[in-house]
Amino acid sequence: MSSHSTAPAGHDAHHDEHHHDPGFIQKWIFSTDHKMIGLQYGITALLFLAFGFYLMMVMRWSIAYPHQPLPEWMGWVFTDGWKARWLQDGKVTGETYNMFGAMHGTIMVFLGIVPLGFGAFGNYVTPLQIGAPDMAFPRLNMASYWIYLLGGLIMCASFFFESGAAKSGWTNYSPLAGFADGQVVNQWLAGQTQWLIGLVFLITSSLLGSVNFITTIINLRVRGMTWMRMPFFVWAMLVTGFLLLLAFPPLEAAGIMQLMDRVTHSSFFMPSGLFTKSEGLADLSGGGSPLLFQHLFWFLGHPEVYVLLLPAFACVSEIIPANSRKPLWGYKSMVYSVLLLGFLSFVVWAHHMYMTGMGAAVSTFFQTTTVLISVPSVVIITAMLISLWGGSIRFTTPMMWACAFIPMFGIGGLTGLPLAFNLADLHLHDTYYVIGHFHYVVAPGILFGFFAGIHHWYPKITGRYMGKTLNHLHFWPSLICMNLIFFPMLVQGMAGFHRRWYNGGDAYLSKAADSVNIFGNTVVQHIDMNIIMSMGAWTMALFQIPFIINLFTAWKFGKKAEGDNPWHATTLEWATPTPPGHGNFLKEPVTYRGPYEYSRPNCDADFLPQWTEPKHLDSSEKPTGSH
Amino acid sequence: MEIPYVVTPRKDTGLFNSKIAIWLFLASEVMLFGGFLSAYVFLRLGADYPWPERTLPVLPGLINTFVLIGSSITVVFAWASLKLRDWRKFQLFMGITVGCAMIFMVLKGIEYNAKLHHQALKLKDYSVVEGHLGVESEDGKPVLNHKGSTIEENLIFVEASKLTFDTVRFYKPWVEELLAQAEHHHSKVALAADVTAITKVGQSAEIIAKAGEPLSVELLNRLQAVHLAARSHNAANRTEALRAEWVTAKAANPGKKDWQIASGVNIDTAALAPTLLGEISTVPFSVDPPAKLDFHPRDIKAAEGQSRLRDDTVIDGKLLASPMVFHNIDAIDFQHLVMKAKEKGIDPEVAIENSWLMKNSAFVREAWAWHQGEVKKLSAELLKAHGVGKDGKPRYTPTHKELYRIGWKDLAKKAEDDGRTKLSGVDAAKEEFFGPNYKARGDETFPGLSVPREQVGFASKFTPAWNTYYAIYFAITGLHGLHVIGGALVLAYYLFFGKKMYLSDPEWLANRVEIGGLFWHFVDLVWIFVFPILYLM
Repeated sequence: MSSHSTAPAGHDAHHDEHHHDPGFIQKWIFSTDHKMIGLQYGITALLFLAFGFYLMMVMRWSIAYPHQPLPEWMGWVFTDGWKARWLQDGKVTGETYNMFGAMHGTIMVFLGIVPLGFGAFGNYVTPLQIGAPDMAFPRLNMASYWIYLLGGLIMCASFFFESGAAKSGWTNYSPLAGFADGQVVNQWLAGQTQWLIGLVFLITSSLLGSVNFITTIINLRVRGMTWMRMPFFVWAMLVTGFLLLLAFPPLEAAGIMQLMDRVTHSSFFMPSGLFTKSEGLADLSGGGSPLLFQHLFWFLGHPEVYVLLLPAFACVSEIIPANSRKPLWGYKSMVYSVLLLGFLSFVVWAHHMYMTGMGAAVSTFFQTTTVLISVPSVVIITAMLISLWGGSIRFTTPMMWACAFIPMFGIGGLTGLPLAFNLADLHLHDTYYVIGHFHYVVAPGILFGFFAGIHHWYPKITGRYMGKTLNHLHFWPSLICMNLIFFPMLVQGMAGFHRRWYNGGDAYLSKAADSVNIFGNTVVQHIDMNIIMSMGAWTMALFQIPFIINLFTAWKFGKKAEGDNPWHATTLEWATPTPPGHGNFLKEPVTYRGPYEYSRPNCDADFLPQWTEPKHLDSSEKPTGSH
Repeated sequence: MEIPYVVTPRKDTGLFNSKIAIWLFLASEVMLFGGFLSAYVFLRLGADYPWPERTLPVLPGLINTFVLIGSSITVVFAWASLKLRDWRKFQLFMGITVGCAMIFMVLKGIEYNAKLHHQALKLKDYSVVEGHLGVESEDGKPVLNHKGSTIEENLIFVEASKLTFDTVRFYKPWVEELLAQAEHHHSKVALAADVTAITKVGQSAEIIAKAGEPLSVELLNRLQAVHLAARSHNAANRTEALRAEWVTAKAANPGKKDWQIASGVNIDTAALAPTLLGEISTVPFSVDPPAKLDFHPRDIKAAEGQSRLRDDTVIDGKLLASPMVFHNIDAIDFQHLVMKAKEKGIDPEVAIENSWLMKNSAFVREAWAWHQGEVKKLSAELLKAHGVGKDGKPRYTPTHKELYRIGWKDLAKKAEDDGRTKLSGVDAAKEEFFGPNYKARGDETFPGLSVPREQVGFASKFTPAWNTYYAIYFAITGLHGLHVIGGALVLAYYLFFGKKMYLSDPEWLANRVEIGGLFWHFVDLVWIFVFPILYLM
């Protein structure tokens, strides 16, 4: 690699490593190459996603069939000892359901989607798209991955402890979370404590990651890659980086304080006079504020939503122009929108807290900002939609997912509006409507965006396409099942189904008979939807198998990609050899134009890559920017 | 391709990579400390108890402030020396910087140590006493626990005759502790009865452990293994049985929904019984003769007759008198009591007169009377100095704290008024760092006090547990201290291991020191905020 070096010898920390072939461990395990780290992130995140999905399948059994033992086809995962501890005659108990619910949310958000979007796609694609040889700090990048893995394992290890894993929801509200697992003498071995320790690891990991990303994007852009020539993907990653950088630390503060509440018996989040059935009057000083935890949590929690979403936007906005053979419509508006989105996401957090009694004035403020933030989101999604208009669309495998992303995310986004208004939220708060809303955003929205991304960049990573037939087997059932699972949730939610019922509302059925409690009747009318949704969830699990087969077999047996730029795309990652070696580019590329030059008039091909040297340098194509 | 801009700045941004990174990192740090400082504001505004104002020793904090500011200057000199390629000067200035960090941490350590050994007690009536606990002693000699250290007089005593362990949840170190204590009292802890259980299906129960077998962790582990095996086996059997019931119920009620028939679907316990194994969820041990065992208040839910430890060990036996004994009290504080009294519309003076402390301690009565005189003097002084306002009332009156708190400095002054020891010079300065000097001032100045357990409302050392002020104080200063240590380690690394890099690429080392220096300035800046907020406000 040093043969292409432009920097003076000896200035690079990795200088020496490049001269010899790295061994297996250095190449595959402790790699500092952003592409390998991206793949590590991706595979780990997919495994965590599968685990989180599994937890949800067990929960769905408890909701649909609360009286029946967990069937063997799900229960075989557990040992008999584990089942004896956590199941009651084979049935899922409320405690176990809470544990699975808390860990499902935590795993999906912190260990699945964020690492997949930011860690995997961001790591693999960002340096390639800006023409950088690697991240600015490769070893920090490696550390970021390993700290993430460690944090995830610490959290999940607690499943096997006597206390079990965390049980207080992914939001971990105090004082509930402060008491949970309080009976455990050695608090360091309690699931609830381990959750916090794991969280501190994850925050550290994302801090290292975000510093690295932003530095890379600011300083490592190749010659000619001016800000407005950056692909939208890179912009989205830049904003995501800032969100992680600035939103996570307050949660870290909250995590440290809650950790202190647990192990030093402080009362940051414990009000005076707390009384529980098992403990009596709590042996605490009191005087703390449970609301403080919610503020600190949601100060992260809301930007976190955009940390999940922006990488999916990023993937889809690359795939749509490449497959509709049209420039991304309104690129500049999209860029400004994503910046505005990033900024606004810091001032909407308390819309999660309308029901806490924080006051009408505060609620009104956050209601206003929340409605405001829908504007840039809609600008982005509309721009994507218009980018399809009049294009010559190729329904390649990634394009199918990208096209499904738009309406699915649309449903998710629009169902959020009633929640933004605090009057409507009074009714919908903590119901299945909320669950339906954000799962439409995350599952068929964001996850579909990531499936699109996996299919899109797979040929760059492996040199082969993923199979079309298997993809059909994956795509169509997933699309149907997603709606089967989440649409009834919206209906149930409006009927008042609470999101934390471990038995799906079963406890209210006996109340239906006495006709005094009208709520009982509402539950009777809607409770059978539980079975439809659960069936949908399990069926969807079945149809993820084609994807797994596709992912691994296409590596060896997939159809070979034609050349280094099989999609005839325009951004710089397609200028690298396939797969890109350490250092990425054979020769340092130069950027001559914007990222989405498709179907340009007076051009031979229907695409003009950023790196193609113009025949005649006109003023708009000068490689501006220094190096 | 190599990674560019590791040493030289990029022209259009004007920055080398790590400089961007450190500024981003500091932005993140601002949010972290911002989170804590917002928490401080939130907690202080929402406090439902008298917020402790100016309770920390200012002198060590002030010295630390100047130490840190000084080190921020020397770190810049160190960087400049590197730019000028003067290694010796770099060593000198970086050495001073690291030295300052060490001074800071030593002072911080002294401050923490004083807190961690200082006891606070809030009585049930919300009056507060502070001081030092005595240690358990017999015949004038301190009693040592099995670890060989003294035991503070803040323990719950139970005359235990029976210990019942939970075979799953028992906590090993506590079992060992109980054994050691029983041994100390020459008592035997042994199985109260034979432990029998069915370990193979269809066979009769067999003896797992015989009555009289002494308590040991190994024995409990053995019983636990039997119990867990039986529990797994039984749970699996019950699950199978319930599943079978559901198959029959479904067949018998076609078209019916689960919840319509659920109440009729039950395991046939009688039929299942012969296939089950014996679970041993608890095992009782007798303590013979009954021994006086002691427990830390937080570990035990004490009750007359039967108490319970946090690991679900049940202790049968009489609850003995377990007073909390202060060897020296050094503050009496009625602020919270007065606050509560005012909430209820009771006259503060009456509430104080009726407090347990005033009724039961001659010293407290004496001190309070003396304090009333002091308050009068202070009021007169304030009136003399500031006069009256337009409404005819004095412009300045004593604060809530001055009215209702008698701190250690007040008690010392009272003793001096009474003609006892007066400290001066080094001794007086030492008190600013280490807290009151009990030895020199004597037990008359800081006398003892025994508070019966039923009067104890909430007790704690001056740790994060005492109240939210100390919680946020430890959280912020602790985190800041970790930053000082981290920063000092990095700077020390450049100092001691930077020579090689200095010789090969001094500019790169200078960059690194610049990055470290930026971080060091941030650490200093945080302290500039923290010091006034926590020490002066």
